Amino acid sequence: MTRYIGARVVQLIVIIFFISVVAFLLVHLLPGDPTVSILGPNDTVQARAELLRQLGLNKPLPVQYWTWISNVFHGNLGISFLTHQTVSNAIGVAFPIDLELIIVSQLMAFLVSVPLALAAALRPNAILDRVATTSTYGMLAIPTFVVAVVLVLVVAVKIHLFPATGYNPIAQGIGPNLRSVLLPSISLALGSVAIYYRLLRADLIATLQEDFITMARAKGLSTRYIMLRHALRPSSFALLAGAGLSIGSLFTGAFVVELLFQLPGIGFQLIAAINSRDYLVVQGMALVAAIAYVVINFGVDVLFTFLDPRVRRG
Amino acid sequence: MADSADRYDRRAFLGRGAATAAGLALAGTGAPALLSACGASSPSTASSSTSTAGVSTARPRLGGSVIIGMSSDIDGFLPAQSHFDNTGLTYANAVFDTLTSVAADGSIRPHLAASVVPNTDMTSWTVTLRPNVEFHDGSPLTADVVLQNFHALKTSALTAQAVTPISSVTTSGDLSITFNCVEPLVAFPAYLTTQVGYVIALSQLDSKSGSQNPVGTGPFKIVSWEPNDHFTVARNPNYWRKGLPYLDTVTFKPIVSDQSRESSLRSGTIDLMVSHDPGIIADLQHDSAFQQVTDLHQTHGLPDMDFICLNVSVPPLNDLTVRQALAYATDPAEIVRLFGRGVLTPNTSLFPPGSIYRAADNGYPVYNPTKAKQLVAQAAPRHGGNLTVQLIDVTDPRQAEIIQALQSMWQAVGFKVSLGQVQQVQYIDQLVGGQFQAAADEQFGAPDPDLNYVWLSPTTANPPIALNFARNKDPRIETALQQGRTHADQSARVEAYQAVDRLLAEDLPYLWFSRAPWSITGNTTVQNFANPILPDGTQGQGFGGGVFTPGQIWMKA
Repeated sequence: MTRYIGARVVQLIVIIFFISVVAFLLVHLLPGDPTVSILGPNDTVQARAELLRQLGLNKPLPVQYWTWISNVFHGNLGISFLTHQTVSNAIGVAFPIDLELIIVSQLMAFLVSVPLALAAALRPNAILDRVATTSTYGMLAIPTFVVAVVLVLVVAVKIHLFPATGYNPIAQGIGPNLRSVLLPSISLALGSVAIYYRLLRADLIATLQEDFITMARAKGLSTRYIMLRHALRPSSFALLAGAGLSIGSLFTGAFVVELLFQLPGIGFQLIAAINSRDYLVVQGMALVAAIAYVVINFGVDVLFTFLDPRVRRG
Repeated sequence: MADSADRYDRRAFLGRGAATAAGLALAGTGAPALLSACGASSPSTASSSTSTAGVSTARPRLGGSVIIGMSSDIDGFLPAQSHFDNTGLTYANAVFDTLTSVAADGSIRPHLAASVVPNTDMTSWTVTLRPNVEFHDGSPLTADVVLQNFHALKTSALTAQAVTPISSVTTSGDLSITFNCVEPLVAFPAYLTTQVGYVIALSQLDSKSGSQNPVGTGPFKIVSWEPNDHFTVARNPNYWRKGLPYLDTVTFKPIVSDQSRESSLRSGTIDLMVSHDPGIIADLQHDSAFQQVTDLHQTHGLPDMDFICLNVSVPPLNDLTVRQALAYATDPAEIVRLFGRGVLTPNTSLFPPGSIYRAADNGYPVYNPTKAKQLVAQAAPRHGGNLTVQLIDVTDPRQAEIIQALQSMWQAVGFKVSLGQVQQVQYIDQLVGGQFQAAADEQFGAPDPDLNYVWLSPTTANPPIALNFARNKDPRIETALQQGRTHADQSARVEAYQAVDRLLAEDLPYLWFSRAPWSITGNTTVQNFANPILPDGTQGQGFGGGVFTPGQIWMKA
């Protein structure tokens, strides 16, 4: 297993290297002149040239990359041209928001989808299965932002149960914190519930046809025991792979929900930085989001080795 | 809306940025003589109350907090380096003070300055500061501090052009500072009401983190600023205006989506919100649960206008007949009907109805598609048989609909029209660089017409960077602008700007639609959010251009 994980780590390093190159080059592809963002349009050509020199943007790309990545390794992602805040600080504010959104929303998704899939797979085509399958079709079809808007109108505006916008850090108390992330988390969780339910249900139904399940039933084991101890684990591969992709993509993919609920997470800040061409923030946020994505999926791969020994044997 | 994630957006640059990015924008009052303070009077504490939205004359309650939803965030707190849009100016009003302020009647009154006095030909202005004013760090407000602030403006790439007409500055004693100008600057006092009129402490000016940590003389002191999340301020216990502010804390929350801001207000997440969206303004206008103030009826100064900017330096728009055809093909009433939500009215002038500077009949073309077709037929042969125009705007769903409606109108009379939507920064690049034909625009908000000199003057229409985006080089406009800038006589100024209005209608660098709306809406607990009393006891401008002063807001128990 050590060899397997070692090989995956090497693969991870190579991927992160390419990610860093892409993140670095990304900002050079953005339209517009960064000196206009920083100085405004009414400066002199000399001032623009001087600024480019100060920022190192007049140097060859490989030199710029080397300077940037060296600083990254020292924890220095630079300073926002616009807010003069360090990029590390901006990420330090944004990252926990995404992390909490992901944890809460995925917890909700698993808590709903796994029991539902277990119950539905036990009696395929029964009423519960049909209702759940139809409902999850609907969840998949409704865009996240529509769910978000409806939740805000009903739960925040009409009932005044939760705030419509804003984020309260945990430091302000667990109650206010959870109140501020609950609606956005529900918005994000609904899509995941549908996907996880469908993946797990299909695999469970297939697994329940296997001989070892028949054997377990013949031994007189309880249905609950069979489902949780024998059927669930071998049926979880697609679920975990899907979860890895889904969770990783939420670091930036949640930006619509972040925008609607005014949560300054990674996606929100990244879009704002792209719009204002805040070079270093774009680089830093994109790098962190991409690394988070591959690290999460690396974690899922490692998890597979525990679930199924065949994976680590190659 | 996506375009609102704007630290430095079109609105910041084109609208409120006039005083910084736009050269010396000296907003005058028309009566630019001597301004003097009658001492710092306390705000009204009468026991009776009025029912006017945003105005309360009841006895203010001390304490409490308010959360205000803003349309954007800012990029810092340095007047010489940061781009203050409506949000920036409102934030600044919380922690800084300007040397002068705009009164409700449009006149300019002293604020941090005790007086602003010109010499006889108005080429020199002496500002005398109020005594015993302290910054948040305890340091005193002195003439030397104002001088250092001016030097920062002078050496900043952002604001250097803004102070170009000031040739030198000298101090005399602790409280007196004289600005010497290269020509008569009639509107100088109004210039001090804008971004370049804020005075910050030397500790902020000299600090590497000064952009993030404002140190002013204002009614509130910074508690924390988390970009894109919140800006929180707390009462300045040593504020030089005794009895103010009323609130303990104010939290500004940039909520970029207008719809989310409205939901936040309706759900009680915020107490007060600013909006620029006619739909949102209409939604909240007649809801008795809220009180709303708009700037739609303000007639002094200039509001931002919504219009199409035509680049008159590129074909086929360098042909006046083509521009006339576009003007006759454009129906402002229909645009307003479709997108104004009953809030807006058409306006085909640089100035709003009721403004003294608005020409009685400026001669702007009245919608006439038949006439437009004739002009197209007349001009097309000179341009290869087809008149092709590209119309651009920033990426925004509502703006996309507006330019689609225009595309339909223009194509109906024979133009070939392509549309383009670009990101904000690229949009600004294209406007200043001249890489556009027609662009949907919003601009010209200012307390005095002279503030718009750099946007309209032929002297700023030259490449590579032209702040006169339309690149209209009519020398008659320059003559009129100079007359407005240098003549103290009010009738001469009125005559000058009415001439500008008529010349713009003749040259057609802009196709006007309507004034751009701004509103501030609060729940019924928030009091007095549009009713500032100035230090000399006069009524201040309550709300205009999305900017307000939080220092005199109070909350009902």
